[in-house]
Amino acid sequence: MSSLVKRPSGVASWYLPGILGGLVFTMKKMLTNLFNQKQMPTLNYPEQKYEYGPRFKGNHVLTVKKDGSIRCTACMLCATNCPAQCIKITAAESEDPSVEKYPISYEIDVLRCVYCGFCEEACPVDAIRMGPEWQTAALNGSKFTYDIQQLAYRAQLKGGVVSVLDDQERHKAGI
Amino acid sequence: MPKCKINGQEVEVAAGSTIIQAYKAAGIDICHYCWHPGLSVAGVCRLCMVQIEGMPKLQIACNTEVKEGMVINNTSEVVKDTVKWGLDFHLINHPLDCPICDQAGECGLQDQYMQFGKYDPEMAEAKVKKHKVVDLGPTVVLDAERCILCSRCVRFTEEVSKTNELGIFNRGDRSEIGTVEGKPLDNNYSLNTVDICPVGALTSRDFRFRQRVWYLKEADSVCPGCSTGCSVKVHYNEEGLWRVKPRENKEVNGYWMCDTGRDTYKFVNLKARLLSGRIGKRDQWQEISAEDATRSAGLKLRETVQKHGPDSVALVVTGQYTNEEYKDLLKFFTGELKSKNVYHWLNNPEKMKDFDGLLFRGDRNPNTMGLSAALAAHGVSSKWETLQSQLSGRKLKMVVVAGPENQATFPDMKEKIQMLSQADGLIWLTAGLNADLNQVGSETWQVPLKAYVEKAGSFTNFEGRVQPFKAGTTIVPQALTLSEAVELLAGRDLNWALRPKGLGGPKTNYAVTQRGTL
Repeated sequence: MSSLVKRPSGVASWYLPGILGGLVFTMKKMLTNLFNQKQMPTLNYPEQKYEYGPRFKGNHVLTVKKDGSIRCTACMLCATNCPAQCIKITAAESEDPSVEKYPISYEIDVLRCVYCGFCEEACPVDAIRMGPEWQTAALNGSKFTYDIQQLAYRAQLKGGVVSVLDDQERHKAGI
Repeated sequence: MPKCKINGQEVEVAAGSTIIQAYKAAGIDICHYCWHPGLSVAGVCRLCMVQIEGMPKLQIACNTEVKEGMVINNTSEVVKDTVKWGLDFHLINHPLDCPICDQAGECGLQDQYMQFGKYDPEMAEAKVKKHKVVDLGPTVVLDAERCILCSRCVRFTEEVSKTNELGIFNRGDRSEIGTVEGKPLDNNYSLNTVDICPVGALTSRDFRFRQRVWYLKEADSVCPGCSTGCSVKVHYNEEGLWRVKPRENKEVNGYWMCDTGRDTYKFVNLKARLLSGRIGKRDQWQEISAEDATRSAGLKLRETVQKHGPDSVALVVTGQYTNEEYKDLLKFFTGELKSKNVYHWLNNPEKMKDFDGLLFRGDRNPNTMGLSAALAAHGVSSKWETLQSQLSGRKLKMVVVAGPENQATFPDMKEKIQMLSQADGLIWLTAGLNADLNQVGSETWQVPLKAYVEKAGSFTNFEGRVQPFKAGTTIVPQALTLSEAVELLAGRDLNWALRPKGLGGPKTNYAVTQRGTL
């Protein structure tokens, strides 16, 4: 039975011109980059980091009120809107009658999250935002379920991001 | 029988009915808050406005009688405009805190606002602040800001429960629903006020903040709480049941149900259930599948009958199973095993005839009538005392118990378990976990059964009305119906392909459950 694969002709098996061409190309690029480093398209990653725009959708941030408590009212609109179903909230009744409902647990499974930002869009009280962080490596998968501690009070947030929507101010304005 | 024309559709109604009843009968939508079919007419919300040909002004549909030849519509621009401004008035002091409001998703104000609302309120004044999170009683919480003063709850306590706890206090835009000091809203029908509240002003302490209603599914069922057998809706998701609400049934319960009946979701959920079959005795339990446990119990039962005769076994039944299950169970016991030792376990014989005048009855079993009828049909007339003497005389080798599903209605469970475990072997068919049952000294087979929402069947209520119901959801996948258990006890096979698959809790993601092992 003859093979269906067509054997290359003798000319194509002359590999030396191809290799030499490749070496010339690499040499050219190396020299241009050496003498013109500013226009180099790559970054030295761990030392240099790329700055994304302000609309970048990175890791979630739960905002806090002025007193530092969590802003979320556990209305579950983010969980309802989430196409990846990665948000799990357990609501509870707060001692403070002006707060009434708050989350005792708020978990995002970031390995399921598709970073679409629908949660941020659904939130009526600016309690969840997509932050600028994107370097989230961990040693194993169990580290990727973020809880309130991680989402609202992680060290990078320096005590928490304050929500723009304040209930006390709204009530004072008579709304 | 006057005839009228509603939105161009000919409708014939009973003499004396109001326009809103005609709308409901014709199945046409009409905006309303204060009107409720089970209560008197108040006419305070002014939203059910209709235009009647020949009348110069709009009329409220809830308080206008249908007359012969009336031509009515609620779709004209005038009506829509009126409803829109009516809604604007209702929303003047409403906080619009839908995100934290439990009613969101089933709120009349939300629905009608989306349909007719004015999206830019023109009110320049600040909203009036009222009391929030007020405990009206042990079961109901009031948020006075959300209240639109439709007075449904006040009329309910006045007309239906006749307890008169609620009233409207203060005047004008400072009016609030409230109770008189020292007389909280504490009656067995208080949670009906939560059902009829068209906004989120009254919320149930038990259900408050537990679930968002749009995550829940509904299934129709019959309440197993007492022998009245109210028609109910159960609300469930993949984690189990969350609440029970009444369903309209003019013959039995009207629009209401009691607070005790609303607790009937608790014994159905996973925490309270027996999840698999168990064989053994005190502190030596072996967990096996429900099927295997029942088969092994059946082998032992039939062996005992062969060795010691049919009088060495007894059956104890409670009134908490369906008519169909009783039929199969008694057919097996009296027909195949030929034993006449069948006993009706009554939980509260002295309270059987009690009745509170509205719905709740002292007989806390849904199917006492059905069981009595089935026992009579199989010619069983044994007395409980006979069982006691048989047990103390050590005449019984095996006792089969179709135990209570709703164990809260059996205050004497512990004593009865101790009494029944005097027999050498005990086959306990039950839906619920029981700590006392795990302490018995005789050889015991525990077989998990389905609860009322998991099976289809019928209950016969106190007046002999047979009420069929369908299966809603499955919570314990292994659990058997009593009929299935009987088939397995008799040594026959089941068609396992026909059995419903369980929801088995929230979906598990492989990537999540296997984490940490990378």
